[in-house]
Amino acid sequence: MLLVRDVLDKQLLDRQGHKMGKVDGVVLEYGSAGPPRVLYLEVGAVTLAHRLGARIGRWASRMAQRLAPVHHESYRIPWTRVRGVTLEVTVDEAVEETRVNVLEAWLRQHVVERIPGSRR
Amino acid sequence: MKRILEIALGIVTGIGGFLEAGSLATAVQAGADFRFELIWSIVLGAACLAFLVEMSGRLAAISKHTVADAVRERFGFPFYLVAISVMLLVSFLVLAAEIGGVGLALQLVSGVSYRWWAIPVALVAWLLLWRGTFGLIEKGVSVLGLVTLAFVVGALQLHPPLGDVARGAIPHLPSQDSAHYWFLAVSILGASISPYLFAFYAAGAVEDQWDVSHLRINRVTAGFGMGFGGIVAIGALVLSGLVFHPAGVKVESYEQMPVLLTTSLGSWGFPLFVASLGIACFGAAQEIALTSSYMLAQGLGWQWSENLPPAEDARFSLSYTVMIALATIPALAGVDILKLTNISMVFSAASLPIVVGPMLIIMNDKRYMRDYGNGWFSNTMVALITALAFVLALVSVPLLLKGG
Repeated sequence: MLLVRDVLDKQLLDRQGHKMGKVDGVVLEYGSAGPPRVLYLEVGAVTLAHRLGARIGRWASRMAQRLAPVHHESYRIPWTRVRGVTLEVTVDEAVEETRVNVLEAWLRQHVVERIPGSRR
Repeated sequence: MKRILEIALGIVTGIGGFLEAGSLATAVQAGADFRFELIWSIVLGAACLAFLVEMSGRLAAISKHTVADAVRERFGFPFYLVAISVMLLVSFLVLAAEIGGVGLALQLVSGVSYRWWAIPVALVAWLLLWRGTFGLIEKGVSVLGLVTLAFVVGALQLHPPLGDVARGAIPHLPSQDSAHYWFLAVSILGASISPYLFAFYAAGAVEDQWDVSHLRINRVTAGFGMGFGGIVAIGALVLSGLVFHPAGVKVESYEQMPVLLTTSLGSWGFPLFVASLGIACFGAAQEIALTSSYMLAQGLGWQWSENLPPAEDARFSLSYTVMIALATIPALAGVDILKLTNISMVFSAASLPIVVGPMLIIMNDKRYMRDYGNGWFSNTMVALITALAFVLALVSVPLLLKGG
């Protein structure tokens, strides 16, 4: 398996098969000896911004801090929770227990559900 | 029996969904200015579209992934960001032109300016997306879109010299005004090979849960559907070549166009023209708005389906909501809709390499395509289309400035 080819940017599915974003980043640990180890997968806009360049990344981090003082870092999924890597990456999590969908939930509650017919 | 019905529906989808503001406007302008000389560009455009539609449908049936998914997954976030930005900009322009087109159809009937119709049209389009399902929108658009066959009937009524029409189908150099000729050729290609069409088609294949058993119907839909769809645009071009060209009419607005059908179909001509313009643009508007949502949701990994109630895919349904709201502004502001259409077709042509280029790699990736990847023939075609796309991208904007 190749991290960038097979994991980065792939669709993330929770254990129920619900979509929970794409793998926006992979966090590695470089030890003094031995090969680097994969620690986490990251999901979040701040991680994406860092991939576009250091300055955009720093700016996004500051914005995120202002908008969400508590949880402004990207959500991290420990590598040990990865259950399968095919065309999708399946992880042993339940999307509703994570905060990857905070924006979705906020928009649902504050915008979509205020428009008639949102539940059909 | 079920299969025959599916195939028939596939062909209907192609024919009914082919014509929209861009393909109509560019075909009519080409007919008026160059008689039948530019028919080849519709033929070429429809053929390219057929191949791309077949491939994106096959990708979806085999991998359950769309082109937008694969662009993000295979080429990474930075490339996806460029692609989605370009696509959303082009979609905004085309959507604005379509909303304007529906407004103009209503203006022709009511005498009330299209500017006043922009908001009602946008609201109805949005409401159908908000309340409707994928099947309703796809089938509604394509069945009602069959009214555009009026252009083919109209053209045949005037008994066009078929030899001249056939000669027009062979690419050749212009007899005069070459900048304008190539500008129209590029606009026609841009209008025919619309990225939103095959992005919509692929998302639809996932919505309808296609699998390997759908490959045949996919081929038929792509080949016959897009092929026959092109005939509708050719009908409009031939009509214009017969009615406008001899009279030396310069096409400067949609309001001139009903005469194409009244000349050939008498009193039925006016209502048929208005219905064709209105329905074709309205259907395209819905598909484009929905496709913007699809491309965002697929690239960013959101929950998405037009079959879910909006509350269950909030970001998806708000994306098309915002898109429609923004695209209402140009018509509301009174922008010249025909000019907007022409500009949006040129930008659509210019955006093609970003979408078509990646297909060359994705369609040969075993992880997506397993044993159903492109053969040498499809690869040759997609390579040629990519080359054509790069040429179009390079020449489109200079031609817009020089010949538009």
